[in-house]
Amino acid sequence: MNRSSAVRLAAVLLLAVPVVLAPQYLPPHLLTVLTVVFIAGLLAASVNLLAGLSGLVSMGHAGIALAAAYGIAWASVRDWTPLGQIALALVATLLVSLVYAAMTARTRGIVFLMITLALGVLLYGLALKASSVTGGQNGMTGIRRPDVIKAPGDFYLVAVLACTLGLVASRVVSRSPFGLMLQGIRESPNRMASLGYPVSRAKFMAIVLSGLMAGMAGILAVWQVEFISPQIGSFARSANAVVMVILGGTGTIIGPLVGAGVVVGIEQWLSSYIERWPTLLGLVLVLVVLFAPRGIVGTLADLARRRSPAMGGAGTPGGPPPSQAVAPGSGASTTTVGAPVSPDHSQKEAGP
Amino acid sequence: MTLETVPIQVLNGLTFSALLFLLASGFTLIFGLMRIVNLAHGSFYLVGGYVGILAGSVSGSFMVALIAGVIATGAFGFLTERFLLRRVSGHELREVLLTVGIAFIVADLSLAVFGGKPQLLDVPDFLSGSSLLGTYRYPTYRLFVMGLAVAVGIGLWYLQQRTPLGARIRAGVDDRETAAALGIDIGRLFAVMFVLGAGLAGLAGVASAGMLTMRPGADTDILLFALVVVIVGGLGSVTGAAIGSVFIGLLDAFSRAWFPEFSTFAVFAPMAIVLVLRPQGLRGSSA
Repeated sequence: MNRSSAVRLAAVLLLAVPVVLAPQYLPPHLLTVLTVVFIAGLLAASVNLLAGLSGLVSMGHAGIALAAAYGIAWASVRDWTPLGQIALALVATLLVSLVYAAMTARTRGIVFLMITLALGVLLYGLALKASSVTGGQNGMTGIRRPDVIKAPGDFYLVAVLACTLGLVASRVVSRSPFGLMLQGIRESPNRMASLGYPVSRAKFMAIVLSGLMAGMAGILAVWQVEFISPQIGSFARSANAVVMVILGGTGTIIGPLVGAGVVVGIEQWLSSYIERWPTLLGLVLVLVVLFAPRGIVGTLADLARRRSPAMGGAGTPGGPPPSQAVAPGSGASTTTVGAPVSPDHSQKEAGP
Repeated sequence: MTLETVPIQVLNGLTFSALLFLLASGFTLIFGLMRIVNLAHGSFYLVGGYVGILAGSVSGSFMVALIAGVIATGAFGFLTERFLLRRVSGHELREVLLTVGIAFIVADLSLAVFGGKPQLLDVPDFLSGSSLLGTYRYPTYRLFVMGLAVAVGIGLWYLQQRTPLGARIRAGVDDRETAAALGIDIGRLFAVMFVLGAGLAGLAGVASAGMLTMRPGADTDILLFALVVVIVGGLGSVTGAAIGSVFIGLLDAFSRAWFPEFSTFAVFAPMAIVLVLRPQGLRGSSA
């Protein structure tokens, strides 16, 4: 560990203190909002894992979360033990993720986006119409979250932990050989295929992995409100997760959480002042896409880098990221022929 | 459900097919030429419907409503292409996200302006009521909508195959760079195509406002069906959009009648099958 990463670690730990102590000093309604932020951040992180590493933007991830959430709800209403509920939810998540992966692993770009969108709506429609199992439009009541995490403060900590795990996992994956392979596939699938990398299988794995993370977000979401309706997996929710990723910065590690904070903030806080907050959200999205395609975190990182030009362009692992960063998802690949795949393509952190 | 209602279900399905075709043909043409997945296409439909209702109630004329709806959405499409999409031209994902942002804004603003209650467009006397088809009576307006879709389909075919503009469009679809190098103003072609697609969506909106009502959420509902049609039919193909519309429209009508709990599944499952067996769609060339 070199000096700059030690500084970064210290900063993260320092930031962690007020977050972990939040139940001690925050009023209950703010704690609820913050819990929502972390759960939304986890869903956004699952979208980001795919979008950042492999350039696959899913517009249907709320559908996977929905499958997990209905698993929990169905089992909870029937008084299964918490472990049984989680097991059922995981089985549902895994099944749905496998379907997503099987149908999309050979596609990319906008085709991937369209198919995931359609799959998400399919699951939403199924939850809405198959009322004998799901309760239809009215959903299900009588869901109880496990007694261990009954207290809002404890549940909040579980959400924080889950989201942190998701973000750390994203970072670990993005630096692993598997993550590098995905980035290579993103930049040049044909070249990776001709080099002998299992392109479709790698994408398949990435989709399932990301799906499992989305499933965790679904479990937490249903536990938080102890109620379920098809809205939990609506198209708007899937789209919002993508908006969070884009706002925060595609391919950054903490971007999804930052994006979730902004979107949930606009939803929960501005909605009591401005009636037209969805318009505002749409405007923010349009402006970010037009003027800051690297998102909040990505843009801040760019600014910081411009102010203090990093020495050496190669970017040693763990050191300051190289400045010729490719904005994943912006479509503007600057990789030149023969250039090695940079290990730092998708992990730009801003020092907050 | 008995067999006697089958013809009625067929007609219901074909009415929905007609709407889907008006929407999907524009969507697929925009995609074929510009490679843009326009997720604001449902918003154009919504705007067309609401403007039509407004113009219809002010003027009292259905024709005015139809024309106003198409012109308004065409203008909206022009502004969208000229001032937003053109700025991120060539960046697939940013284009899609931009259209998502527009969809958010349009949905929210039309809720603010037109309220949450479903609204119906008044149709003229000669289109209201029902017509005799053999031994069945069927609403005249729905037959009119089917006729409209057929007319638009023929018009699009003629435009594409028999006019200089159509030749340029086909050239642009086949090979954008070469077409541009041969002196075709590809930027203007994009603008024309986007306005045309938006106008068609607006036409679908007005047509739909006369029978299904216009309401918040109608934009995403119809967009998703259009998406399925286009995926099944093949991206970029108008013929594919026509086949897909008829197929999905009929499937939707019958699944709603026969097994309502799984009607969504019935429409999306074929899409899944088509994607697995033939990723380019029924009529698409390589995607």
